[in-house]
Amino acid sequence: MTLHTASEGISFAREMEEATAGYYEELAKRFPDHAETFTAYAKANHKFVANVQRTYYGVITDGIEGCYAFRSLEPDDYVIDVELGDDADLATALAKAIKNEETLVAYYKEAAEQSKGVMHDVPHAFLMVAKKKNQRIDELKAQAAS
Amino acid sequence: MAILDEPIKEVRVLKNYIDGEWVESKGEIVDVVNPATMKTISKVPISTKEEIDTAVQAAQEAYHDWRRTTPLARSRLLFNLKALLEENFEKASRIQTQEHGKCIDESRGESRRGIENVEVACGIPTLMQGYISEDVARGIDEWCMPTPLGVFGVIGPFNFPWMIPLWSIPYAVATGNTVVLKPSSEVPNSQTFLCELAEEAGFPPGVWNMVHGGRTVVSGMLDHPDIQGITFVGSTPVGRDVIYKRCGETGKRVIAQCGAKNFMTIMPDCDVENTVSGMMTSFFGNAGQRCLAAANAVIVGEDDAFYEDFVARVVDKVKNIKIGYGLDESVQMGPLRDEAKKQNVLKYIDIGLEEGAELVLDGRDFSVQGGLPENCFVGPTIFKNVRPDSRVGSEEIFGPVMSIMRAKDLDEAIEITNANPFGNGHSIFTQNGANARHFQYNVVSGNVGINIGITAAMAFFPFGGLKDSFFGTLHTQGKDAIRFFTDTKVVIQRWF
Repeated sequence: MTLHTASEGISFAREMEEATAGYYEELAKRFPDHAETFTAYAKANHKFVANVQRTYYGVITDGIEGCYAFRSLEPDDYVIDVELGDDADLATALAKAIKNEETLVAYYKEAAEQSKGVMHDVPHAFLMVAKKKNQRIDELKAQAAS
Repeated sequence: MAILDEPIKEVRVLKNYIDGEWVESKGEIVDVVNPATMKTISKVPISTKEEIDTAVQAAQEAYHDWRRTTPLARSRLLFNLKALLEENFEKASRIQTQEHGKCIDESRGESRRGIENVEVACGIPTLMQGYISEDVARGIDEWCMPTPLGVFGVIGPFNFPWMIPLWSIPYAVATGNTVVLKPSSEVPNSQTFLCELAEEAGFPPGVWNMVHGGRTVVSGMLDHPDIQGITFVGSTPVGRDVIYKRCGETGKRVIAQCGAKNFMTIMPDCDVENTVSGMMTSFFGNAGQRCLAAANAVIVGEDDAFYEDFVARVVDKVKNIKIGYGLDESVQMGPLRDEAKKQNVLKYIDIGLEEGAELVLDGRDFSVQGGLPENCFVGPTIFKNVRPDSRVGSEEIFGPVMSIMRAKDLDEAIEITNANPFGNGHSIFTQNGANARHFQYNVVSGNVGINIGITAAMAFFPFGGLKDSFFGTLHTQGKDAIRFFTDTKVVIQRWF
């Protein structure tokens, strides 16, 4: 189902962030040596959602076009995979995390691009989250390489 | 996407809020119906003359003490209210959708706009300061200070059940006045909830009163000698011929914000994609039931290819608007508030056809998501080749109907716009600064948008309006509201 409204777009982001937060929590249990990092990522995911929602609730007015925020965002283009086999090793888990984060970055960037003409603060918030996510991707890649 | 939870779960008979008490009315009880589901969600009394008189008396009695309450103390109660409004933001938004039908994004926008007025009024200790001149003659000083007036009546409309009373009430009470509010009987739940929060915030009994009802309550306010002024938002015939006229006769201050027929001028140099996107909310937001909704799109220039391409893009976007229950996050347009309002829109579609306008998107042919009853729904409608002097092109429809017309140049577009009797919120879409300035300078409109389709002033600016869109002098919101709710007392002093 194509997303058009601001509330849909933010709800969808929340679902993805919560799913990946759950994934990191699972990784923290499975890989205790890296638990601190994964737990911090999970917490940060909730903060990302809170930041976007605070922006949405804080600046939305009937002057910004919440019902027509996005031309067409296809949820099927942004599928988060949080299934991890019982025998998955750290490298596999990190690869999946990187892919998920890249999916989220792609979503935030596209959502920001599509909505920048009709909304202003929310697209900015999307881009700020995407920036943080890119930093995380670099960290995950470094971890995978080490 | 799932449908959000409805906050109103049980049908209850709403009460009046008078002198700090929730009071049952002796008046007739009528149903409040959710226009999307056609289910009765509450029952509202049509209160009596005695009940409005009781409320005004309570407000008058409370006034004497309230005006002596320091501005800082009054401000603190507004801060309390602001905190409660934030805490209950989502519930308030969903109540609006449930009783009015608007989409949840629109309701959240309305909640935010309402809260912003409380935030501005919180600054009353400085907003209400006067000014002084020392030594206007040797040893003589003179100063002026804003003082409250007494009891004010606030009459709310159906289209913004939450926000519009908040254009007035925070400023009225912040300046030391007391209020009696009459919400629209079509959408009384939002203001009932607001009153509950005002009570929780700690406003003393009699400062903030609410009486549900209809004409009897309005007449009771207009005729009551203890009411100093009225703020009203509604139709031009009622605002001009009843509210404004009667307030003049009875010596009351008045702000009457009325009807509109807003024109959107589209220049050939506009950013087409963003303009088309910007038009969606302006024409079809709140299902067109907004005094700042654009109604007429005036496409400028003699380039037929641009005109046809632009219209095709608009139609293509509009025909995909999702219609349904506003608590479904994917829905972009809800129903009209009631069946009579839908019939009015259908009547205008017939009139447009009779007048020879070309119907390029027929709102009578629509589908509603979720299998809801279609009683109050109508689809977005687009006419082109509309004459500005036709009924469809000149009268307020208050529904999701776009009339497209052409002008050979910007001056003709302004001429067409200014020929209309309303002057509420006209806008221009252009990338040319000189055109934008020429438009804003010459268009006769209380609110002007430049690449903004909804010209709603923020809380710290007055909500303008000219010609048949506004009757009065000062406006709601911001500094104008402070002036409206205060009188200027000038003191000149010398000591022997």
